[in-house]
Amino acid sequence: MIAVLGLVLGVVVGYLARPVIPHELEPYLPIAVVAALDAVFGGLRALLDGIFDDKVFVVSFLSNVVVAALIVFLGDKLGVGAQLSTGVVVVLGIRIFSNAAAIRRHVFRA
Amino acid sequence: MSLLVDMMTNSLDAGYAEATARRAVRGDTGMNKGPLARVLAVVGVALIAMILMVAAMKVHAAAPQAERERHQLVDRIHTDETEVDTLTATVERLRDEVDAIQEVSLPKAAKDRVQLLALLTGSDPVEGPGLKVIADDAKGSDNSDGSSDPRQAEAAANGRILDRDLQRLVNGLWKAGAEAISINNQRLTALSAIRAAGASILVDNRPLAPPYTILAIGNAKPMQVEFMVGADGRALRRLEDDYGIRINISAQKKMKLPAALGTSLRYAGVPGAAPGSPPPSTPAQPTPGTPPATPTGRGGSPSASAPPAASSTASHKPTERKGKP
Repeated sequence: MIAVLGLVLGVVVGYLARPVIPHELEPYLPIAVVAALDAVFGGLRALLDGIFDDKVFVVSFLSNVVVAALIVFLGDKLGVGAQLSTGVVVVLGIRIFSNAAAIRRHVFRA
Repeated sequence: MSLLVDMMTNSLDAGYAEATARRAVRGDTGMNKGPLARVLAVVGVALIAMILMVAAMKVHAAAPQAERERHQLVDRIHTDETEVDTLTATVERLRDEVDAIQEVSLPKAAKDRVQLLALLTGSDPVEGPGLKVIADDAKGSDNSDGSSDPRQAEAAANGRILDRDLQRLVNGLWKAGAEAISINNQRLTALSAIRAAGASILVDNRPLAPPYTILAIGNAKPMQVEFMVGADGRALRRLEDDYGIRINISAQKKMKLPAALGTSLRYAGVPGAAPGSPPPSTPAQPTPGTPPATPTGRGGSPSASAPPAASSTASHKPTERKGKP
């Protein structure tokens, strides 16, 4: 119920407000998307495992976004921004895959 | 390696397990949450949904814009092409008008001179007998089957006609006595350039597509012999033998060559004081807008690289003129 409410709220706000992403922040949008997906899959798996926790969910999501953005920002400053953002995407992508696999095992028992 | 394995096996955030452990110690089941936790969850989910939404909208907004820009460019190209066609038609109409006026106002000697110069500079359409050379790339050189074999691609590139091959061909024809030459219906003048831009060949900055049809007006039989025994003809035959470039030369009884586009008057003067010509005391200024009543030629001056002023087998075609008085 809460999740659905949040989902609708987020979609509506995102659609109506049409937030303009500042040009400097544009490279971080893909990172934020991947981090958000990671949080979603992690939370879903925790829910199915029966150990879901709101606080852990929100805090882990926020910290993931911040750390990922920080790494990419640092990489940009050092001139290896593309490589580091690839690294972030790879790490989060692996997590998304294994969490999705766990969810699949829960749902289909296979 | 252990880092990757760790990432694969412990993909779930350790915080969930810890939170569960804490709850177990405290003894609550985790079902009775405070309002703060609920708000936090709503905000978190809303934030995630918003990020995904924004990203989706960004992608969605970027796609049609790229498409729109492409369409605008295509439209502009079409519009400009139409404009060029219209302007070319205007040029041809005005040229016919000028020719008609010249026909009336010039004395015989000056008229002959103008005709010869117009023929040599390519500023008038001509017709007459001559050679027709069709040059095409070797078979399979267009690489259109999409084969990515680099060796095949190289062979394909070798079988392609290059700008310098066309230059050789054209120069050989001039040398063999051609009086007027066109490539793919585009007349060559003494100032024409045959260049390559990427994979295509440009003649006077207009791209050509194979097969290349070169029409050379002149005395067909002697010209063909002269061309074939000349150095350029031999070089061409070598291309034919080694790379499979297809060349077909045939003598034609009658061919029509268009006037060259974009010739402009650069120099005009009065040789002597021909009777009937307007009596300017000084040579006319070389402006393109000068009324061409002077008996000298229009178009680029016939420089050293112009074809030899052979006995004119190419005939002027006054019958083609529309603006006859």
